[in-house]
Amino acid sequence: MNPVIEVKGVSRSFGGLMALSEVSFAVGEGEIFGLIGPNGAGKTTLFNLVTGLMPVSAGSVELRGKKLTGLSPHRIAERGVARTFQNIRLFKGLSALENVMVAQHARTRAGLFSGVLRTRACAAEERRVERKGWEILELVGLAGRGLELASHLAYGDQRRLEIARALALEPSVLLLDEPAAGMNAAEKHGLTSFIREMAARFRLTVLLIEHHVPLVMDLCDRIAVLNFGELIAIGPPAEVRANPAVIEAYLGAE
Amino acid sequence: MGTAQLIQNLLNGISIGSVYAIFALGYTLVFSILGIINFAHGAIFTLGAYLTYALAVGQFGINGLLSGMSLERQLPFALALLVGSVLAGAIGVLVERFAFRPLRNRGADPLLALVSSLGVALVIVNAIQYLVGAEIYTFPAGVYGELPPALMFQVSGHPVVIRTVQAIIFAVCLLILAVVGYLVRFTKFGKALRAVAENPATASLLGISVDRFILVTFFMSGFLGGTAGALVGTSFGVAGPYFGVTYGLKGLAVIVLGGLGSIPGAVLGGVVIGLSEAFVPADYGAYKEAVAFAFLFIVLLFRPQGILGRKQLQKV
Amino acid sequence: MGHFLDNNGFLLVTLVQQALLAMSLYFPLAAGQLSLASPGFYALGGYIAAIVGTLDYFAPWRASLGWLVFPLEWLLAAAASALLALLVGIPALRLRGIYLALATIAFVEILRVLSLNLEITGGAIGIFGVPQLFESRWGYIAVFGPLLVCTLVFGHRLERSRVGRAFRAIREDELAADAMGINTTRYKVLAFVIGAVLAGVVGAMSAPFLNTWNARQGTFDASIAYLAYVLIGGSRSIWGPLFGGMLLAALPEVLRPLKDSRLIINGLVLVFASIYLPQGISGTLARFSPGKRKGALPAGEPQEDA
Ligand SMILES: Nc1ncnc2c1ncn2[C@@H]1O[C@H](COP(=O)(O)OP(=O)(O)O)[C@@H](O)[C@H]1O
Ligand SMILES: [Mg+2]
Repeated sequence: MNPVIEVKGVSRSFGGLMALSEVSFAVGEGEIFGLIGPNGAGKTTLFNLVTGLMPVSAGSVELRGKKLTGLSPHRIAERGVARTFQNIRLFKGLSALENVMVAQHARTRAGLFSGVLRTRACAAEERRVERKGWEILELVGLAGRGLELASHLAYGDQRRLEIARALALEPSVLLLDEPAAGMNAAEKHGLTSFIREMAARFRLTVLLIEHHVPLVMDLCDRIAVLNFGELIAIGPPAEVRANPAVIEAYLGAE
Repeated sequence: MGTAQLIQNLLNGISIGSVYAIFALGYTLVFSILGIINFAHGAIFTLGAYLTYALAVGQFGINGLLSGMSLERQLPFALALLVGSVLAGAIGVLVERFAFRPLRNRGADPLLALVSSLGVALVIVNAIQYLVGAEIYTFPAGVYGELPPALMFQVSGHPVVIRTVQAIIFAVCLLILAVVGYLVRFTKFGKALRAVAENPATASLLGISVDRFILVTFFMSGFLGGTAGALVGTSFGVAGPYFGVTYGLKGLAVIVLGGLGSIPGAVLGGVVIGLSEAFVPADYGAYKEAVAFAFLFIVLLFRPQGILGRKQLQKV
Repeated sequence: MGHFLDNNGFLLVTLVQQALLAMSLYFPLAAGQLSLASPGFYALGGYIAAIVGTLDYFAPWRASLGWLVFPLEWLLAAAASALLALLVGIPALRLRGIYLALATIAFVEILRVLSLNLEITGGAIGIFGVPQLFESRWGYIAVFGPLLVCTLVFGHRLERSRVGRAFRAIREDELAADAMGINTTRYKVLAFVIGAVLAGVVGAMSAPFLNTWNARQGTFDASIAYLAYVLIGGSRSIWGPLFGGMLLAALPEVLRPLKDSRLIINGLVLVFASIYLPQGISGTLARFSPGKRKGALPAGEPQEDA
């Protein structure tokens, strides 16, 4: 297995609290990789470290053998790592379409003056960006709401728009932080096939944080379990489900 | 620099620094509970100076609506200062009631509070100008009663001068700091203040009537601003309705230097800036006005949380 | 008649000038940066024009360039403002919200104290007799007008371009913008520089217009006045600072019959407008225009995050 994302001995502390301690694992090309663990286990923190939103305390993260650690978030995004947020962070005052257009920033060129002067190349690019924006909205089923402000969308639609925005970045690695949170059973079911479809279609490697265990078991090729910042198990769903340490962590916590 | 000069600068710096401290405390009290800067604070400073002048001297000049008038009764300076400051505190309460509360109730953009408080400042400053004109008012020499104008002593053959005003300023500020310190440390109000400064959501849990609590804070803030203005006014003259603007801005430098929202920080910042100004060599006296802003700029770039403030982690 | 035109010409040009200065604050704000630095750059631009226009050292330039010396002054002001904005902006724009505002206030005040004390800026007295570009005040509309139109077109098109979207994304959520591949530092500095250049050029055009330049031209009060223009006009589009700047700058003139109490009314207007026009004038108008109705109706309330 040639790893796409490799997490090497990553630690992060907040004051005295070790949110992550020496976590190491690798995710292979095209894998859908689950990350589970009780609240406060350090899952979101791990995403923040991978995407460069926070510095690591120790260790490093590599993308196809190239170090990501130390790069600023936009550089990491440019290299094809996109994410969603646990507490939805859309550009609320922008329309759904604009949210998806903004995310194509790193894949387009128009500068200040060419944009304002509307040079021919620039106008063409703008049309392309808009067309692609509609396509992606169509894909997540939001084409009908493209002109509405992101803040005016229903909660489930906002979650889908966040995924659409991440896809617009043309990533090779997609990090989803609790995408099913707040969704009803039917929506959750839809989400499973949607993620699978997207991963296949765009050849994505997916890292997925999710609390809803059936969804994770169903969707993921492999699962890593974090507890109090430590990696306590990693492997295929069936194996992880049988792991005594995992059962302990989950039953102990819930 | 000789010893005498050193002592002279120290005394000058501590005196003006203590005024900066109580003035900045007024900013910081409001900031620590509401997270906004009250840009009307400089105008309240000005107002305190004019009110105290009116009560203690009561002679108006040749401009404005009140030109040529004089009040029949004058209060002794100490009483005038107290009443003037209380009135300034009352205006502070009105400012809260009419310029801040409606915005807060609506959960409006905090930037609007900047504009609205500046609107209030315009109203206050121009109302002053409308009433008493733009001229300079100075307190007459005898306003403190029978005290000599200055004390002088010798240090290794050189004179050191303490103007009576400076001593009065320092004494009043020290008294006020002691009272505020007591209020914040040992009273229910102080506990609530610290709790709210830590986390606004706790206020309602503690069973505090938030609006009333905020009114009290604005009263204290206005009182402190008014006293500071009156003290500066007695020392250097009440230099027109706009004379609070510079102090208003310097006050910002003080609170940022000490740590935005930190009460001890405001005091420390005031003293540091007062002393730094006092030690600017006479040849560069004109640049004294820039000292506070140089501090403000440099502190913001290198330690935005100030000397005593805590660094805040961003939530993702 | 000539007198009438001259007076009203002065007023009209002043309104345009104030609207432009409001726009200079709008550009950084469009990228979420509350910068109150405009009066500093405005003062800088004005001093450059005043110095080039009056100092003996530049006499040969004036003699050989004729009226072309004025555009040269604008260019110099733009270049100097851009340079200073980079110098100040790169460190200062790491600060957020009110901290950035305070840093820019400090910047304006430091420049003001410097100009009060330097010889080349004429100290406290300032610089007198800055040569005029036109004979009447009215004539200046020929320079301020086109600048206003260009800035409006620039701002309007910017909003609908890649860079403008990046600005707005940063304004909405800087961290998310960063995570979506936008170099936030770069665009924040860019927005700051755009505002600075605009303010600098307006200053360079204003020094001949006002005939004199001094340290009172770049003060803290002015910063807040421009902020008021933008917030009360509406900060979501370039039309906001246009409306806000023109209306609020006209207010003291409209209120002139009230003489001394007019600035009191002006202050009250600021308070009432902040309270009752939260979206600003342009935002409030947009809400009542039929085209935008759809977007204004919430399609569903976001629930609490689990
Ligand atoms: N920015 C932060 N500052 C301080 N502590 C934090 C921060 N982010 C996370 N933590 C702490 O780190 C631990 C792990 O949090 P998180 O990664 O959000 O957990 P999870 O996503 O697994 O529920 C928690 O105890 C949390 O309080
Ligand atoms: Mg989490």
